[in-house]
Amino acid sequence: MKFTIRKSDITDILSKVQGITGRKSNLAITANILVKTNETGISFIATDLETGFEGNYPANVESTGVITINARKFFEIVQNFPSDDILIEEVERQWIRISSDKVEYHIVGMSPDDFPDIPVLEDVQYMEIDAIKLRKMIEKTIMISPSSDEKRAHITGVFFESVKEDHGKIIRMVSTDGRRLSKAEFVSGGDLDFYDSPGVIIPKKGLSEVSKLLDSDGIIAIGVKDNYFIVKKDHETIIIGLLEGDFPAYSEIVVKDDHNSIKIEKRNFNMMLKRMSILSTESYNGVIFNFEKNRLMVTATNPDLGESKENFSITFDREPIEVAFNPKYFMETISVIEEDSIMINIRDSKSPCIIEGTEDKHFLSVIMPMKI
Amino acid sequence: MILHLDMDAFFASVEQQDHPELRGKPVIISGRSMRAVVSTASYEARVFGVRSAMPLFQAVKLCPQATVIQGRMGRYKDVSQSIFNILQDFSPQVEPVSIDEAYLDIRGCERIMGSPLFMAQTIKDTIRQKEGLTCSIGISPLKFLSKIASDMNKPDGITIIGVDEVQGVIHDLPIRKVPGVGETTFKYLEQLGVRTLGDIKRVSAETLKNRIGVFGLRLKDLSQGIDSTCVIPLAERKSISTEQTLDKDTGNREQLKRMLLMQADDVARQLRQKKVKARTVSLKITFSNFKQHTRRHTVQTPIQSAREIYKEALALFEKEHLPLFLRLIGLGTSGLIPEDQPVQALLFADSDKNGTEKWEKAERAMDSILGKYGKNTVKRAVSKDFNVDPGD
Repeated sequence: MKFTIRKSDITDILSKVQGITGRKSNLAITANILVKTNETGISFIATDLETGFEGNYPANVESTGVITINARKFFEIVQNFPSDDILIEEVERQWIRISSDKVEYHIVGMSPDDFPDIPVLEDVQYMEIDAIKLRKMIEKTIMISPSSDEKRAHITGVFFESVKEDHGKIIRMVSTDGRRLSKAEFVSGGDLDFYDSPGVIIPKKGLSEVSKLLDSDGIIAIGVKDNYFIVKKDHETIIIGLLEGDFPAYSEIVVKDDHNSIKIEKRNFNMMLKRMSILSTESYNGVIFNFEKNRLMVTATNPDLGESKENFSITFDREPIEVAFNPKYFMETISVIEEDSIMINIRDSKSPCIIEGTEDKHFLSVIMPMKI
Repeated sequence: MILHLDMDAFFASVEQQDHPELRGKPVIISGRSMRAVVSTASYEARVFGVRSAMPLFQAVKLCPQATVIQGRMGRYKDVSQSIFNILQDFSPQVEPVSIDEAYLDIRGCERIMGSPLFMAQTIKDTIRQKEGLTCSIGISPLKFLSKIASDMNKPDGITIIGVDEVQGVIHDLPIRKVPGVGETTFKYLEQLGVRTLGDIKRVSAETLKNRIGVFGLRLKDLSQGIDSTCVIPLAERKSISTEQTLDKDTGNREQLKRMLLMQADDVARQLRQKKVKARTVSLKITFSNFKQHTRRHTVQTPIQSAREIYKEALALFEKEHLPLFLRLIGLGTSGLIPEDQPVQALLFADSDKNGTEKWEKAERAMDSILGKYGKNTVKRAVSKDFNVDPGD
């Protein structure tokens, strides 16, 4: 196997697959990237046994073959390579030479026979979606991340479905950690391909790898087939193994019935939360919100440090409500709402609080209070 | 003022109380085997030169007529708990030093409890009435002096060092009596011509620091009547834990799990008493070769019930391979926060929550039964060798 490839064609993608190859799996070879020649150039394949990646790149192929090489080292070599043209060659079994006229590396690979197969899926019904919109949906949902020892599928994964509803063809993603929940929707335009997909749970880790690839405008294809979620760009495909499990029935908690809707200026609210969270620590992360007539009084108490309070003007004219929240959850949620004001919908000290933008109703977030 | 209380020959006195035939006779409390050492000797045995930490065979040689009793830690712990409960009635600031020793900060208690002397007398009377035991009490404005004072009139004594007397006591206090001065420090100080704590005043802080380090500076402070340490009540402790050396080294997981469950009960009870919840659960094991492993896990929502603590400890224990038998197993909790702190509620009903709440109730009910009718009136079925899955 021998080919020449341009540094500028592959540096970026090698950086992006590090999230997959850098993840520990129970096979040592998944730290490697598989490189094989094809008719038009070469393909890269990477997997962590849950998320698989395949990408095709132009190359000047002199002789065909397959190798695997440590993805981290390969990336570092390419990134720092002195010339744009890189000659890659298997000189003897599993010894790979990476060279130009000035520099030369000999790197030991591992046998491609040991590299796990990436599933081949046929007859996938692909839906089309704007890449940037999909990336934002992913970012808004995987922001609620699971703790490292979390095992439950509905927390380590994002609920995904596509359904025709009264207000259009909806692609929906929902994420939770059991304390808060975010729901992001995309309304599919008339000329984009759309298929109904039953609700599935996609690992957040895999989706975060997907979002790295969605860096430029354009329409990309997504689909669900067998036990996989597939994302297809022009030259790249990511296949993620779905999680088995049930996603909790969340429809009731995202309904605003007799909530008080309070419009709040986002920037000031965020600054206030920031000031209140100065005193919060792992052990003391509760902040008390007192909704009173036209004002919100917020107090933070930390027995180890002291206390803080702040008055915040709001339009509010109902029975006072005293409720405690982790301010971090609010800050994270409003950071992904791209509007100047937000709506806070609150009912009482026990019911979840619903937050959304004032205009865009395609994203909402639910935060469960703390028991005082 | 700070009060220091030290039970007199605690373990031996408890045995003499429980076994009237032993009263007035030499009693030696030992560990479990013949290679053991003396853990406590009654005053009657001390007359013969028997001392704590002395090898048992030597003690028996000195005092062959002594009754040697294997210590019953469970019983002593119960009595100790009862004594600490008494102390809590006198001051909220009670710092347990060991099973039979405590400091009380009694500043501000005078108006309710009377003069320090009266208070000391009342404490002694109450303990004698309730448990039939005697103790020695020292009171002074300085924590370290109170400890020294309680030792001055042992057994069954009260020593009060008033504010005016502090300087005089310090001046004459043999340096060897100061807590923390061991053999090595004593030798250094002797070379410097220091015989009493008062003598320290003549030595420069620099010399003290160079010769004996930071402790030298503390000695300097003490000699000037400054003791910055204060009474740290149990509630402010950073962790609550328990551990047990096994009767016999074992690799029997079922037996070890049962011990963990008992320990979880013990720790949970202490958490409830202190009105705190814990965020971190830790497991400590020592192998027969004395190698020690500790593992810890921090949960997101603080826990308090034995059921949840046991669940966490069990998960840690399951991760342990046991290539050797264990000689000790222990369970601890830390990251303690007051139980009235806001707790994050969950969006979806937790299938286990109902069970947890019920068990919390059951555990609190057990607390009240134990409080009313005494130890061992209720306990878990597994502790009586029934093979029941704990918690179900």
